[in-house]
Amino acid sequence: MKQRLEKDRIADEAERELAHDVRRRAAASHRGSQVGPTDPYWQNLIIRTNARIDDATSGKALSISWAMRVAIPGVVAIVSFLIGLHYYVPEPPEDSLSVAAVMQSLPSAVLDSILSDPSRLDPSLSVQDVGGYLFAGSREQIADYLVVNGSLKAAVEELTEKERSDLLAALGTSGSLQ
Amino acid sequence: MEPLSDSDLVQEVRNGRRQAYTELMRRYHQRVYWVARRIVGNHADADDVVQEAFIKAYLALGDFRGESGFFTWIYRIAVNLSLNTVRKRQVMNYLRDSELLSKILPSSDDPSAGIEREEIASSLERAIATLPEKQKAVFVMRYHDELSYEEIAKVLKTSVGGLKANYFHALRKVQEYMRNETETGERPDRR
Repeated sequence: MKQRLEKDRIADEAERELAHDVRRRAAASHRGSQVGPTDPYWQNLIIRTNARIDDATSGKALSISWAMRVAIPGVVAIVSFLIGLHYYVPEPPEDSLSVAAVMQSLPSAVLDSILSDPSRLDPSLSVQDVGGYLFAGSREQIADYLVVNGSLKAAVEELTEKERSDLLAALGTSGSLQ
Repeated sequence: MEPLSDSDLVQEVRNGRRQAYTELMRRYHQRVYWVARRIVGNHADADDVVQEAFIKAYLALGDFRGESGFFTWIYRIAVNLSLNTVRKRQVMNYLRDSELLSKILPSSDDPSAGIEREEIASSLERAIATLPEKQKAVFVMRYHDELSYEEIAKVLKTSVGGLKANYFHALRKVQEYMRNETETGERPDRR
């Protein structure tokens, strides 16, 4: 214990001597003294720090920090997504066929198996409805189909005057149906 | 009327009396400035550090448990911020010296580097600037602020034994630097 205290005392003494030498050298150096700020700086420092504390605790700072952390990254993410969507959306191959074209190209037997009598499903359905739903420009085919399958009423009532005339001509009948 | 203690002022700030914090700043802003200035080595960075330290302390006052006293607490914040500033500068200097960045940012075009060198005016300051960061902090606290090892240990959260060794090595390096500079008339860090 005594030995340890003695060791500490020697170490403290060596430290003091070193520090004293450094102070002596610093004092001897003609540019040894550090130039400090003037009084206005100290007063201004407190005012500036208070102003920054006000900023940091005000709603404005909160909204800025919120914008920095949430709103701006959010907007950037959405814009990036939209740009990506615009440029990278997969485009259909140029030689792909429309649904209507495919339907038109089907053999009539296949077409018959696809089509159903709309009046059986829903009496309010018309030729226009069915034609519109399935494929464009096929109303004549549907009308033919309805005629063949005995749904004349559904077919005829929904036909235009011209279509009705054409249909009658095709069937070899003249005059109008009532 | 007796002035309020630090802990009373802290309590007043917690009760919403902002003026009490201004009083705390008034008490310690110069000491905080000087510890920062001696570690970072220039006025501009020290000015930033002292403001940051008080802002940080104010915002964290709710978490301050008062075990070590307000001064030790604000002092610790300032020392840590100063060491961070020194580290950032070291990284910047490293990058500035690196071949890649010197092509983009020539060191001679950076005005802050010149100011920094100009501001390190005294031999002692130049010697402190050459110390490793922990020795620098210990040296400033012990040599300039004359804090006890126990106080420094609280600030740096380290053991007294280690601090004594750090301070002793720092003193020897500073002495060596100043002796060389006096004897040769040249700055040892520029040889």
